[in-house]
Amino acid sequence: MVDSVFLALSVLTIGSAIAALEIRSLIYGSIALMLTLSGVAGFFLLLDAPFVAMFQLSVYVGSIAVLILFTVMLVRRELIFNKVEDKRRRYAGIGLMIVLMLGIGTIIIGSGLKTMDTNSPAVDYKKIGEDFLTYYSPALIVMALILASSIIGAMTLARREDVIDGQRAD
Amino acid sequence: MSTIAPQFRLSRFIGSLFDLIFWVILIFSLVGLPIVFIVLFYIKLPVINNQLMTPYLAMTWMADPSRTLPIVKSFMHTTIFKVMAFPGFGFAALLAAATIFVERKFLAKMQLRVGPLYCGKIEGILQLMGDGFKLMSKEIIIPAKADKPIFWLGPLLFVGAAGAFVSLIPVAPGWVVANPNVGLLAVFAVIGFFPIIAVLTAWAANSKWTFIGGLRALHQMVAFEIPLILSLLGVVILSGSLNLSQIVESQEHFWWIAFLPIGAIVFFITILAELERVPFDLPEAESEIVAGWLTEFSGMMYGLIQLGTYLKLYAFAGLFVVLFLGGWNGPMVWPPFPQDIITQGITIGPVTAKFPGLPLFDQDMLNGTLWFVIKTVGVILLILLPRGVFPRVRIDMILHTGWYKLIGLAFINIFIALGLLYAGVLGPGGLLQ
Repeated sequence: MVDSVFLALSVLTIGSAIAALEIRSLIYGSIALMLTLSGVAGFFLLLDAPFVAMFQLSVYVGSIAVLILFTVMLVRRELIFNKVEDKRRRYAGIGLMIVLMLGIGTIIIGSGLKTMDTNSPAVDYKKIGEDFLTYYSPALIVMALILASSIIGAMTLARREDVIDGQRAD
Repeated sequence: MSTIAPQFRLSRFIGSLFDLIFWVILIFSLVGLPIVFIVLFYIKLPVINNQLMTPYLAMTWMADPSRTLPIVKSFMHTTIFKVMAFPGFGFAALLAAATIFVERKFLAKMQLRVGPLYCGKIEGILQLMGDGFKLMSKEIIIPAKADKPIFWLGPLLFVGAAGAFVSLIPVAPGWVVANPNVGLLAVFAVIGFFPIIAVLTAWAANSKWTFIGGLRALHQMVAFEIPLILSLLGVVILSGSLNLSQIVESQEHFWWIAFLPIGAIVFFITILAELERVPFDLPEAESEIVAGWLTEFSGMMYGLIQLGTYLKLYAFAGLFVVLFLGGWNGPMVWPPFPQDIITQGITIGPVTAKFPGLPLFDQDMLNGTLWFVIKTVGVILLILLPRGVFPRVRIDMILHTGWYKLIGLAFINIFIALGLLYAGVLGPGGLLQ
């Protein structure tokens, strides 16, 4: 059962990832990207990590994919893309990907991941929260600072003094 | 001479009868028997009267009344029943249909109109059925330059996402379709799909009105998702769980709305915005952009979107009840099932009939469902109320409210919850449990 689900998810994820790269229509490409991200959420569900899976769905599919759709719909694509059709580049890209995957694969398999206990119960999300606030608290603080500074930066960039809004009610 | 079958011959008639019998036997042996065996092999069948149920025994339930009720009872605890009928789709669709009719009458009374009147003699009670038949019989028109796959998929995905949302709402103790440990996060994940569906169908219809409506829907839903999530964190902090059933159980003595009124108000406002209801109905503002992102839908495709909208309305009202109003908790008002009927059966004159397995539902479940439905209907009426009262607001006012005020209020709510938790009053290990 799990194996067949894993196979189906792999086909879905990799197939839609290829589609996201290859489809000419940008809207369909972003839909395929959504499928890829949902497939990754499915992998997390298979790995007994529903907490991460739900965040994957709500953050990546619910927010980032929406952002991509928004951008694609609002921007004329001739302005941001120019087509470069080159067979050699494509084959070089595929070759580079295969080399990269093989390298990462050997590292991961060599790292002793095979001896992992697969029958251990799922980690409770309360444990994750506890670890975040105790052992990993410096990382959490740094992450919060980075996010806050990026939000403040975005707001500063988006703020425009020269626009006068005469319709404002307040 | 008959004109219906001028070439009638008895031999051919009998031959065609044999033909029919042949095909029935062939199809039954090729399709029917495999289905019986698939059921036998793959579906876990219950044990009834110390006897394992098989499809063959199941056929006898009409002849043997002592087997009928146990079979019905065991069927009611299967997943398929939960998905299709009780806490799932059937129940929600029934409430949604009732909501559509009540909304029309309620708004009419509020604005001193009459509302639906003629269909069904009594206050137009059959109006909804008439509308349904009208929608089903109408032609589905697809715009010539529409993007057909997405346009077809849109309504289905919308109903599917609404159904997924409904499946997470617990109705009575143990009566919920899906009860994951991260139930509230699953709700957030499902809510995230609605703006995508809205904007994709709006784009696919290839019309100005739908596209403007879709972009408005996207702006509004994305802006209100953040205060929605933040306003619910207070409840999570105090109940110490993301599981919706456990959140309901934590409100056995008091409802969270008593301690987190700000969160409840913020959540209610975001519900109105997520459901695209007045005063936040800009995505389908019928006086400006025809029907917004629903403009190009016709026939049953529009019907499906409408069904999805009202399912979503029920699910949001149910979520409000589960998180803030104590879910199924309430005083026991449902009378217990009479014991005589269980032990002695029903006696009418000389005849005594015994019904094994009789209390079909236990008292807790009926009482819980009653309280849940009462509270949910109250919240649904509160959601419908602004439509008769308020005008539509402008998009910049909506976004201003969402991004500035509601997020600020949601943070105040979180700090109230944290204060109650750290003061040791509420929450896990608090004074009031």
